[in-house]
Amino acid sequence: MNTLEELKKLIHQSFDIDPATLTPDGLLEDYGLDSLALGELLFSVEDHFDVTLPDSRTDIKSLEGLATLIDELVAKKTS
Amino acid sequence: MKRRVVITGLGLISPHGDKPDQVFDALMSGQSAVTRWDQGTAAQPALVAPARFEPSRFFTRLQLAGVDRFSQLAVAAAELATTDAGLESLCEGTGVYVGTGMGGASAIEKAFNSHQESGRVPPLTVPAFMPNAAAAHVAVRARIHGPVLTYSIACASSAVAISEAARAVARGDLECALAGGSEALLVPSVVRAWQALQTLAAANTGDPAQACQPFSAHRSGLVLGEGAAFLVLEPLEAALARGARIYAELAGSGISCDAMHLTKPDATGQIRALNAALRESGLVPSDIGYCNAHGTATIVGDVVESQALAAVWGDDLDQLAVSSTKSMHGHLLGAAGALEAVITTLALSQRKMPPNMHVSAQDPACAIRLITKPNTEAPELRAAISNSFAFGGTNAVLVFKQVD
Repeated sequence: MNTLEELKKLIHQSFDIDPATLTPDGLLEDYGLDSLALGELLFSVEDHFDVTLPDSRTDIKSLEGLATLIDELVAKKTS
Repeated sequence: MKRRVVITGLGLISPHGDKPDQVFDALMSGQSAVTRWDQGTAAQPALVAPARFEPSRFFTRLQLAGVDRFSQLAVAAAELATTDAGLESLCEGTGVYVGTGMGGASAIEKAFNSHQESGRVPPLTVPAFMPNAAAAHVAVRARIHGPVLTYSIACASSAVAISEAARAVARGDLECALAGGSEALLVPSVVRAWQALQTLAAANTGDPAQACQPFSAHRSGLVLGEGAAFLVLEPLEAALARGARIYAELAGSGISCDAMHLTKPDATGQIRALNAALRESGLVPSDIGYCNAHGTATIVGDVVESQALAAVWGDDLDQLAVSSTKSMHGHLLGAAGALEAVITTLALSQRKMPPNMHVSAQDPACAIRLITKPNTEAPELRAAISNSFAFGGTNAVLVFKQVD
């Protein structure tokens, strides 16, 4: 499964949001995730992918942005 | 000029369910909700009275992010009370007064466990466990912009919250108040802490449902309960003007502190609160037909409460019927005063008095007129009190009466 699909699954498991409604360029806040829920999601993401997200999170407003960032962090870890 | 304050809505998430009339019927018939704790990680077996609650009835999964169980119970009970009052929404100047002893126990335990295991702590731990989270969630959900306040005074938390709310309505500060409390601390570390304090009812012998025996010669301690309860308080005139159903009048309250000992109660302090409550209500002891006792079933506490009632009621003590409904729903700690305020309100409005169950032999040192049988009718019941006496020494007494 690619990172984007795994993310969709994680959001579904965490918040019961239908994965079919999640699009790559959709903003997470448009799916109802406020800053608190986003914080909880990012904590789960760190656990799930075993990465540490940087404090500046300007590129993780969308699913695609978050997936790209995760792939970069995973690649950096394994290289 | 002080305004008269009446109760127009009741909401519960309790060990006996969430419908006030059904909860009251269950209590009247003597049904206990005390059960063996099924999360067997406690050091010793424990007995509890868990709230019956299905979060999905009130929240989506997304809405539950960072919301501790004690806040969930509060939001649900507050919504049920608002609906029960026949109000589609509350005016934005409404006040929210919430009592809780501990706040978000689940969030604290989870944070501590993950800190030990991985060094990582969930990011929403702080807003989840802070004691005022429940009140804040109630305000956010109902869009209430008046005073949104939290009272943490151990077992008197929600009785004090109700007293403070009623006084604000009586003064004219508020046109409506949502007052109550919430407690949800049935997690392993907290249950163990209570076990360590040596105050819990014996869990090894007999039927768990009958383990809580307030005022009995055989009592062995309290049973931890869980839940939330809220009352809608309005000025009498406003309630009459909108044709609201009025359950009872909240006639007054009395608050004092023993200032003697952190955990050992003192009759002198309780007497002070009882007298203050009667004075504020303009009632005398012989006016009060029923007392919903604090009666936690601890060895020391029940005797002291009996002594305090005897001192204030004097020759009229025989006219005061007493029961501790904790025998059936356990001790809801910070939410106890609110649940028992709802029960006392229903006792008045239905003119029935719930029993003090599981007493095969009353302690002679607790020489009060105990209601030991289910289904006691009280056609003459005019006024009633509810006692809440806290660790820390704070005593709160609420007085309820029929609206003339």
